[in-house]
Amino acid sequence: MGIDPADKKLPQPEDLDPMTDEVLHRAFAGESQAAEKYLVFAEQAEEEGFPSIGRLFRAISFAETRHARNHLRVMRGIDTTAGNLLAAFEGESFEIDEMYPAYRQIARSLKNHQAVRSTSYAMKAEVDHKSMYADARERVLAGKDIDDLPVSVCLICGHTVIGDVPDKCPVCAAAREQYRTFA
Amino acid sequence: MPKPFMNTPPKPEKLGAMTAGFLQEAFAGESQASQKYLAFSARAADEGLPNVARLFDAVAYAESTHARNHLSVLGGIGDSSENLKEAFGGETFEIDQMYPAYDAVADLQGAKEARTSIRYAKSAEQDHQALYEATRAAVQTGEDMAAGPINVCPICGHTVIGDAPAECPVCGTAGQFFRTF
Repeated sequence: MGIDPADKKLPQPEDLDPMTDEVLHRAFAGESQAAEKYLVFAEQAEEEGFPSIGRLFRAISFAETRHARNHLRVMRGIDTTAGNLLAAFEGESFEIDEMYPAYRQIARSLKNHQAVRSTSYAMKAEVDHKSMYADARERVLAGKDIDDLPVSVCLICGHTVIGDVPDKCPVCAAAREQYRTFA
Repeated sequence: MPKPFMNTPPKPEKLGAMTAGFLQEAFAGESQASQKYLAFSARAADEGLPNVARLFDAVAYAESTHARNHLSVLGGIGDSSENLKEAFGGETFEIDQMYPAYDAVADLQGAKEARTSIRYAKSAEQDHQALYEATRAAVQTGEDMAAGPINVCPICGHTVIGDAPAECPVCGTAGQFFRTF
């Protein structure tokens, strides 16, 4: 009874006219932001002692990730892994070379110190990501997976490290207990 | 042994309009990067590359921390009652304005798959709108919502409190494949 997701056709990639492509990009942006907001709202609810509301936000965040994926798929935003690693590498490069330097400069000139902090944290982590994606792409193009090592992420600034967790975060000085490990 | 320094995310501050504008853009960018990487992770797993999949998952999480930091500085994180109101407002906009307009464009241009993707999303947003409204009423009396599982369809995002249905009423996916929270 019911359809197996393995057989069920997700919305398929299709040739889109520019206007539909544009609205689908906007819908992807909207769903992505909703998914992230709801994760933050889940943490807030848990801190306030509302674990069931936290769970509601997490479940709905997951639903929004399904929509974001569906939209991305239709607009041909999902390639082979080699292609995806290249797209990811290029996105990180843009953020490092152009977006965050410009944004940080504006925040500095307006003396918005927390905004400087938030953009600096992001820009530094994107440097880690860029080199990891470059390395991974070389491996995948050679037909190999990357090494089987844990990847850990600082939950304050997003510093990302393959292998051992440092005693404290080299970017924001958070304690090693403040890392989340993907083992 | 001294207690380790526990850092905290950047805090809300009074922002110049220019800074607020770009920080919104940065929040949008990080959110989209995170979602892309989750989709790329699923693809890598399908290709038999579990370690690349893990890398994408970890970096997606890193982008989530950046999105949260930017949102925090923007003053976008309220208490749960405010957050539920914000979430309700967002869902309402998508149901009443955004998805009907987008669907009209996709219909005009004969984009069948785009219409399916839009229909799935709009249908689930109606579930979410109702859930947020009911939950906000509970929080305003100082109570959590009732405990119990929440099930989400992995294809269309249909969201249901309690047990998964035998099959998804929106897209037909079997209930056994729903993700349970």
